[in-house]
Amino acid sequence: MRTIVLRSVGVAAIVATAATVWLGLWVTPPDQVQGTLVRLLYLHPPIAWVALYLAFGLSALASLLYLWRRTRSLFWDRLAAASVEVGVVFNALTLVSGSLWGRPTWGVWWTWTARLTSTALLLVLFVGYLALRRVPADPEVRAKRCAVAALVAFVDVPIVHFSVDWWQTLHQKASVLNATLSPTIHGSMAWTLLLGFVALTLVFVWMVTVRYDVEVMRDRIGNQELEVSLAERRAEGSTGAVNTPESSSDGIASGEAGSAEPPVGGPGHSTPVRLAAPEPTGGGR
Amino acid sequence: MWRDALLIAGKDLRIEARSRVALWQVLPFSLLVLILSAFALGPGPSTLHDAAPGLFWLAVLFSTVLATQRSFAIESGEGTRDGLRLSGVDPAGVFLGKTAAVAVQLALLQVALWAGITLFFGVRLHVIWLAVVASLLATVGLAAAGVIYGALSAGLRVRETLLPLLVLPVLAPVLLSGSEVWSAALFGHAAAGESWLRILAPFAVVYVVVGIVLYGPLQEAG
Amino acid sequence: MKYVDAGYVICLSVLFVYSVSLWWRRRRLARAVATSDVSSERGRDREREG
Repeated sequence: MRTIVLRSVGVAAIVATAATVWLGLWVTPPDQVQGTLVRLLYLHPPIAWVALYLAFGLSALASLLYLWRRTRSLFWDRLAAASVEVGVVFNALTLVSGSLWGRPTWGVWWTWTARLTSTALLLVLFVGYLALRRVPADPEVRAKRCAVAALVAFVDVPIVHFSVDWWQTLHQKASVLNATLSPTIHGSMAWTLLLGFVALTLVFVWMVTVRYDVEVMRDRIGNQELEVSLAERRAEGSTGAVNTPESSSDGIASGEAGSAEPPVGGPGHSTPVRLAAPEPTGGGR
Repeated sequence: MWRDALLIAGKDLRIEARSRVALWQVLPFSLLVLILSAFALGPGPSTLHDAAPGLFWLAVLFSTVLATQRSFAIESGEGTRDGLRLSGVDPAGVFLGKTAAVAVQLALLQVALWAGITLFFGVRLHVIWLAVVASLLATVGLAAAGVIYGALSAGLRVRETLLPLLVLPVLAPVLLSGSEVWSAALFGHAAAGESWLRILAPFAVVYVVVGIVLYGPLQEAG
Repeated sequence: MKYVDAGYVICLSVLFVYSVSLWWRRRRLARAVATSDVSSERGRDREREG
């Protein structure tokens, strides 16, 4: 049942996106003010909407639900992680598409306005979340850490936005042109834009669902590999060789401490200390 | 020595390829430094444009500290460093290998940072060869000096705070010359830049040689 | 106009490549889960015998 729903969402997403592109690139007329550039605005706002509100909003909500005891479940943590990853991709695309629109419009690829600055910072903040997530740890510990990171990141953005807005007005620099869609929005343009929102929302739903599955399976594999090695060790019985699990710590200074390969997820997954280099060379030059 | 160097460099880079710490932590950090510079200096495009070369090298320097710390953190597990020493690998080879691995990471980082300053600060590289040569020389020097000091502080518990304090003053000449050369390369006056290369080159040579000579005793001390 | 074309190409190809990578990751993991199930079964059997 779920597979069918997911597949139909996927198909709908592809169809809607293709329709948006067709309408956006060929059917709709060029704008009175912006000319052909308006075509980018069938993609850019929907992408931004998905990134900022859908993806990161969902991850913040899910993180909150994880942290709240009554609804605590790894489901929320995994959903948040999936949403963040998809959100980061969309965030990056927001900046790229925005830049491509801005270059011919304003003459520059980038400008430090409140909106762009806070969007860029948002990207870095959630990339940080993804980096944090990659550090091997017990799933509950990792979930708690990441949930906090997601919420802090989400809360920081309005702060940045307002402070940078204030910063902008203090340093009254060269005015940034605020180009808008022409006042009389041609019917087909409005519909195309709406379709764009729908299409990319469908894309988002599909992506998060698949990414969620990936997250679930990853954790499961990690646990199963641990189970296998524990079982094997117990079966070996009195071989005696006890490998003390490397303490998982975060941060650069003591990343994957001592192991040549990072452990796969499960708690206390022990790896004997070994170098990737095979045999010692007898000091030969 | 060279074969050992290749071995160690391969090991370090392979660890990085699997754990991707430099990619997920050091790279975002360096771009973050650029973004924060904009917060510090204000949004005015001309200020940022003029400060771009200095900010680029500042970001590179801070990233060198991180990359170096990481280079030694991967061996901080119990027995790893002893294992390395006892395996009979030539210490000079270890030094060269580790330096090479860090240098590769720094070089790739600089490419990303160059894209960053082009995008964020609106600068354009006019004298490409000058910038590339300067970066290559500087990278070797930064990596070599970093690895020496990294080894020095490796065993210590205060290494996170000690390493930056020790190594950053040493790297100051690279910051200065690098900024000057890149300023020349970005704003078009090549001749002024070339003379600064004369600082970057000896810096690199000196620290590589020092490393080759001193790494053995350094390892023993750690 | 080249900016518009670049924009569409970049956005669509990134979305496409990412979707494919997600689909492929899920497939690879699903297979790994299947074989992992088998080996953990075996491990538990061995443990019972051992």
